[in-house]
Amino acid sequence: MVSKIKKKTLSFQDTIFNLQKYWSKKGCIILQPYDLEVGAGTFHPATTLRSLGPKPWKTAYVQPSRRPTDGRYGDNPNRLQHYYQFQVLIKPSPKEIKKMYLNSLSSIGINHEEHDIRFVEDDWESPTLGAAGLGWEVWCDGMEVTQFTYFQQMAGVECKPVSVEITYGLERLCMFIQNKKSVFDLIWNDEGITYKDVFHQSEKEFSAYNFEYANTDNLFKIFEMLEEETKLLVEKKISLPAYDQCLKCSHVFNILDARGVISVAQRAEYIARIRELTKSIGKVWIESQS
Amino acid sequence: MSELFVELFSEEIPARLQINARNELKKKIKNFFIDNKIKFNENFNVYSTPNRLVLHVDKIPNEIKLNSEEIKGPNVNAPEIALEGFIRSNNIILEKIFKKKTEKGEFYFFKKESRKIKVSDLLEKNLSEILTNIAWNKSMKWANYELYWGRPLKSILAIFNKKPLNFIFNHINSSNKTFIDKSLEEGMKIFNDFNSYLKFFKQKGILIDQNLRKKTIQNKINEIINKKNLKIEQNSRLIDEIVNIVEKPVVIVCAFDKKFLNVPSEILITTMQSHQKYLPTFDKKNNLTNNFFVVSDIKDTKGFVKLGNERVIEARLSDAEFFWEKNKIQNLIKQVDKLKNVNYFKGLGSYFDKIQRMRKLSSLISDDFLISKDKIEIASSICKVDLMSDLVGEFPELQGIVGGHFAKFQGFDKEVCLAVSEQYLPNGMESKLPKKMYSIALSLSDKLDSLVGFFGINLKPTSSKDPYAIRRMAISLVRLIVENEIKIKLKDLIVYTCSVYKDQGYEFDTKKIQNELSDFIIERLKNYLKEKNIRQDIIESSTYVLGLDNLLKAYKKSLCLNKNIKKETGFETIAAYKRSSNILNAEKKISIESLGFADPGLFKNDYEKKLYKKINDIRKYFLSIGKDENYEESLKILSSIKNEVNDFFDNVIVNDEDIIIKKNRLELLNMLCKTFDNYFNFSKIEA
Repeated sequence: MVSKIKKKTLSFQDTIFNLQKYWSKKGCIILQPYDLEVGAGTFHPATTLRSLGPKPWKTAYVQPSRRPTDGRYGDNPNRLQHYYQFQVLIKPSPKEIKKMYLNSLSSIGINHEEHDIRFVEDDWESPTLGAAGLGWEVWCDGMEVTQFTYFQQMAGVECKPVSVEITYGLERLCMFIQNKKSVFDLIWNDEGITYKDVFHQSEKEFSAYNFEYANTDNLFKIFEMLEEETKLLVEKKISLPAYDQCLKCSHVFNILDARGVISVAQRAEYIARIRELTKSIGKVWIESQS
Repeated sequence: MSELFVELFSEEIPARLQINARNELKKKIKNFFIDNKIKFNENFNVYSTPNRLVLHVDKIPNEIKLNSEEIKGPNVNAPEIALEGFIRSNNIILEKIFKKKTEKGEFYFFKKESRKIKVSDLLEKNLSEILTNIAWNKSMKWANYELYWGRPLKSILAIFNKKPLNFIFNHINSSNKTFIDKSLEEGMKIFNDFNSYLKFFKQKGILIDQNLRKKTIQNKINEIINKKNLKIEQNSRLIDEIVNIVEKPVVIVCAFDKKFLNVPSEILITTMQSHQKYLPTFDKKNNLTNNFFVVSDIKDTKGFVKLGNERVIEARLSDAEFFWEKNKIQNLIKQVDKLKNVNYFKGLGSYFDKIQRMRKLSSLISDDFLISKDKIEIASSICKVDLMSDLVGEFPELQGIVGGHFAKFQGFDKEVCLAVSEQYLPNGMESKLPKKMYSIALSLSDKLDSLVGFFGINLKPTSSKDPYAIRRMAISLVRLIVENEIKIKLKDLIVYTCSVYKDQGYEFDTKKIQNELSDFIIERLKNYLKEKNIRQDIIESSTYVLGLDNLLKAYKKSLCLNKNIKKETGFETIAAYKRSSNILNAEKKISIESLGFADPGLFKNDYEKKLYKKINDIRKYFLSIGKDENYEESLKILSSIKNEVNDFFDNVIVNDEDIIIKKNRLELLNMLCKTFDNYFNFSKIEA
């Protein structure tokens, strides 16, 4: 059913380069990934914390994202416990953001006049971040390739001004561009290295760790320690290190969740605990901004 | 006569918000014209595409005349400064002021002459407020602005009588221009009237009118299905959503690999409909086919759209197929034990605990239903296993249905499979109702267990909050019983459920639960009867005596009386009852120790004797009927007392001088009312 449409294939890394170049020209600071395990680009302090407070801010970066429960030992062509997001955050949201976004797609070979680009309602909420936003998931010929969100609230605080966040799912996007059915068949560079060469072993081993071997007794203890540390740092009013500890808490919780040792009721409780941490950090951060 | 034409251009507004905004705008504009006494074409329309909210009202006069009126000022005794203020604020001169007496004293007045006002001026003054008053179901802020709107608002075009209306709505100035290209928000163009606007976009294939879009989509689909001998499911909600997420609909026929048709069709359909907004097709025998419709917002000149969508469905269906193949061979019985690790609800144990309770409950119900105890126990044991499957993780809306398919694949009895599949049905007022006894038994025990549990841990819904959808659960229980005509002792079942909880160590206050839950379920029955358009007084009467154990009776009797109340049988029955009960009520003040029967030896005439005999005949009738009472017949029998009652009241004076005779006659009337209670208590029925 899949016909062949000849085009020069844009590699995975070229896709990233093009997006970086495009958003750099639009005045964004190109940052590097945050060096902690996070569930999404939104958790990078360059989004979470920078979206709070009055100061303007424009950034774009790649963020490796970890979702332990989504691991499939490298067996599923569409699921990974570790994948990449390309994240753009601009505060205040510019008037021409939709045009900017559609042109960014052109920069990676997707012309909106040839493809059915749709903005489909998708309001976003992150219980652990105490965050909410309104926006869309963007579909390209039926495939979700981007999340497009106007933040209304972050860390329990109303966003003023409002930031816009654009999150490209890089693997999905590249599967679309390169016409691949499996994420592992993606062409990483022009030398023919594939996604499988780079990440298959990692998917297999981390799935085993997340689902089978992670020491849950220790992780429960680590969670408590990290939570305590976060609270202490909040008292000392140093928001960024406090936020680091909170991110670690969040990741520990995600692994415990993947290990299936957290009941439904406990789950809600843990999420509430992380949210409280985020909120207290948000307050300290905002104070530091004025 | 002129037209008002407004276009509000924004980023993509979600379908349901568009519908809500259209209705709101229509209502607010209509009120504006009515409040200002301006004539307008009441059949006006509001249109929308994802980006454009368009208002078009015609047949509006250019001017309206305001009649002269006397404007009241301050009291003549008020300090002078008040008069000065009045003169200033109305922009008049002192000579125009006159005094006039009213009921409340003497006041200054001036006469405002009749004058003409331009409608365009009124519109310019009011449009901003009208737009502010649109109540969005959900709205947002963006950038630095204070405005709340469904999605960021970019421009406002406003025309009256071919000329632009100038007003400011928050940070936006209205004009006579709009963006032609909704994607890049480029190409500003001037429009001076609605028709040229419509025509311009139609040439570009863009249909501003949602009804036209709907028709276009439906026509195209019908054309194709007729040609291909296919059918589609009439899913108006999905169609309405699709209509509101495109501006230039293009219907594309796509197909997926036929091998996926081996996966249960509910999974394929859910994937297509709710996840991708595709329209699945069926053959003439109602079997799902591998063809489906995509409504694109662009002409697929290079075939990219079809290709892309087919790839997406392929990926999604392979995922679903992978899970189906994996999950269906996981032995249901062997997995039951694992439910111990799945929490049902805090305070109500695990799902393993829940199915143990359901097993006992459904087993008891099976005695009443005359169905196999073994089978219903098996169904209860396996019914929640699918909650642990990947498929239900992916498709939570298919819980139960997926379990039914697993059971079928693993060779369980047909009725067991169906019961598992239908255990959550009905789910509210509109949902499908299970008809088979095994399904009803399983669904009943699931709902009873939940209701008793939630009441037991005191999580009853409040008037405004019902986070666990307990009302819906109880309504569903009522529907299960009355619509399937199930005769069941709910009270006993509630007590039994409490005892089953107790066996597991949950100590609930049985008496309290029984009372509260009973009231709660009766309340739901009342709502249910209301939905069926039964008169309020009939609802009150039927539920006054007939309690939890007689939901079906209360329902049927209400229905029957409601149908007949304006007819002779109903009318005469109530008349006979009322004549008797009115006298009894009037005599209530004089306390009479009722014996419960009249003494025939004290009768003085035939009218009393005949009435007495008739009452006894009716009593015999009610004694003779068993479980299969024909309520229509009962009403007819009751109404047949008409002649005896009339003769009695026409010829007998109840209030006899002899207190013993009087008392005996009151006893006779009391007998009559008590006999009527066999149907139900008519005292609350309004004649």
